[in-house]
Amino acid sequence: MAADVSSTTESAGIAPPTPFADFWSSFSENRGAVAGLIVLALIVFAALFADFVTPYSPIEQFRDAFKAPPVWEDGGSWRFVLGTDALGRDMLSRLVHGARISLFIGLSVMSVSVAVGIVLGLVAAFAGGLLDTVVMRIMDLIIAVPSLVLAILVVAILGPSLTNTIVAVTVVYLPRYVRLVRASALSEIAKDYVVAAKSVGVGRLRLMFVTVLPNCLAPLIVQAALGVSDAILEAAALGFLGLGAQPPIPEWGSMLADSREFIRSDPWIVTLPGLAILLTVVSINLMGDGLRDAFDPKLKRS
Amino acid sequence: MLRYFLRRVALTVPTFVALMFVTFVAIRLVPGDPVEVRTGERGISPERLAIARHELGLDRPVWQQFGDYVWNLLHGDFGTSLVTNEKVATEFLTLFPATVELSLAAMLLAVLIGVPAGTIAAVRRGSAFDHTVMGASVIGFSMPIFWWGLLLIMLVSERLGLTPVSGRIDLIAFYIEPITGFLLIDSLLVDQPGAFLSALHHLVLPAIVLGTIPLAVVARITRSSMLEVLSEDYVRTARAKGLSPLRVVGLHALRNALIPVITSIGLQVGTLLAGAVLTETIFSWPGVGKWLIEGIGRRDYPALQGGIMLISTMVILVNLGVDVLYGAINPRLRHGR
Repeated sequence: MAADVSSTTESAGIAPPTPFADFWSSFSENRGAVAGLIVLALIVFAALFADFVTPYSPIEQFRDAFKAPPVWEDGGSWRFVLGTDALGRDMLSRLVHGARISLFIGLSVMSVSVAVGIVLGLVAAFAGGLLDTVVMRIMDLIIAVPSLVLAILVVAILGPSLTNTIVAVTVVYLPRYVRLVRASALSEIAKDYVVAAKSVGVGRLRLMFVTVLPNCLAPLIVQAALGVSDAILEAAALGFLGLGAQPPIPEWGSMLADSREFIRSDPWIVTLPGLAILLTVVSINLMGDGLRDAFDPKLKRS
Repeated sequence: MLRYFLRRVALTVPTFVALMFVTFVAIRLVPGDPVEVRTGERGISPERLAIARHELGLDRPVWQQFGDYVWNLLHGDFGTSLVTNEKVATEFLTLFPATVELSLAAMLLAVLIGVPAGTIAAVRRGSAFDHTVMGASVIGFSMPIFWWGLLLIMLVSERLGLTPVSGRIDLIAFYIEPITGFLLIDSLLVDQPGAFLSALHHLVLPAIVLGTIPLAVVARITRSSMLEVLSEDYVRTARAKGLSPLRVVGLHALRNALIPVITSIGLQVGTLLAGAVLTETIFSWPGVGKWLIEGIGRRDYPALQGGIMLISTMVILVNLGVDVLYGAINPRLRHGR
């Protein structure tokens, strides 16, 4: 702490803090956010290097070890640290590979819905009139159907698979980004700098994406971070209902569903995937809180 | 006020039209032939198949089918289930009270625990209690409730044997003819000792599971809104007058702090219904959520179509109600925009 203070006072005389230093100083004030970031970094690392980190392949079956208990239980061994599932697959390897799948789903959903959300939101805000109405009514419609019910409908149409899970969850989360971008763009459009840009003849596309968009980004980044964790939860719920990634893909939600019947005899098979989901989602949400403090102190989470 | 009300109602009309269109198209895109599902896998003669198709109106042009669909919806006919041959609306309305009962219990739990917890956390800002509430709220907010449900069944029902694992009431001991559809009320109306306790007993665990995320949200919003209100001038005035802290917080501050909380409750109806799908599946709770999931498995198009239509209608109406209520309380909202 003391080192921080001296370094800021030193640099204050020389140059203003870089945007990153500025961001970090408010982000690191939130201890939960830093903890979340560290845990998340570990999860991302494990997911990226899943093949090197895990002892076995996530789909390799050990026929001599069905439902082997984890190390700390009676009869557990270091061979399978977290035990094996009903088909004799190593839980640790499956969980780590599952992190890869969940993060992939979360990030894909977030990037696609943010990208589409930016375009639709800006178009709605700039075009106004009929186009605006049509886009926003469609968003109202999506919001009117409860998220999971809508996702279930989309998956029922497209068939259950990993890709279709991403499509379904993207559709569900699109409206929040469209609404956010449209609302902040509308409040920016009225400001002087936009009027000035218009009067010097800046083109429409440039006005939308270069002039206005950067000023709408702060709440969007916060929402996007929280959107990743929501998408992971939603996808896991679909997997749990049997409508998500199909076996033998080690998706956390479907791992839970497969092990439901062993809840009495071998509780760890049920407990571990859920813990993995919870840990990932909590760390992202904690980090999102820190992002909000740093980018957008006025924004309140609802 | 009337103008605001009418405009708000008019805004929902296009949403409804679009909803009808989307449910109609979507269900037709689902793979699998409903007639074959209904007649079984062994197959029947082509003539019988054609008759079955004709009976269901599936041999007519698609646009005519859509016209019929809208016409029927406007007359309160949401179709007939292919599996049970019951009216979808009837089935839905029989099961809906179970979902409402569960959701209300969950919301009640969230408010009864969340509001005091959030208030105390705000008053004792920075204390251990505050940190505990905020930490618990992040965890609750991030909870995969399907896992949480399984965990609670494992601990509370299996290990400790405290609560039943599934259903709404002990069906062997009690049979209760639905009067209101809300078992807690019905079991009191009929003269069967123990029925009410059994129903309550069955409700506790599912309500906790479904209430977890709303509880986290309510506690969080109460805390932040309370913090804001506590720094207002009128709270300082009330303190300066020498009112007891309990009176200042409980009466003066809480009343205003609750406004955002109430709004958030209105906005959570959709979340609750989505959560109900998972909770009902885990606890075999005979509500509309479980019914919808079963409908997918059976490829029961009309049930799915009508069910989604009805659920969405409920959400739209509740949101409309919240908006209108909010407009009535807060005149700024009526005139803005």
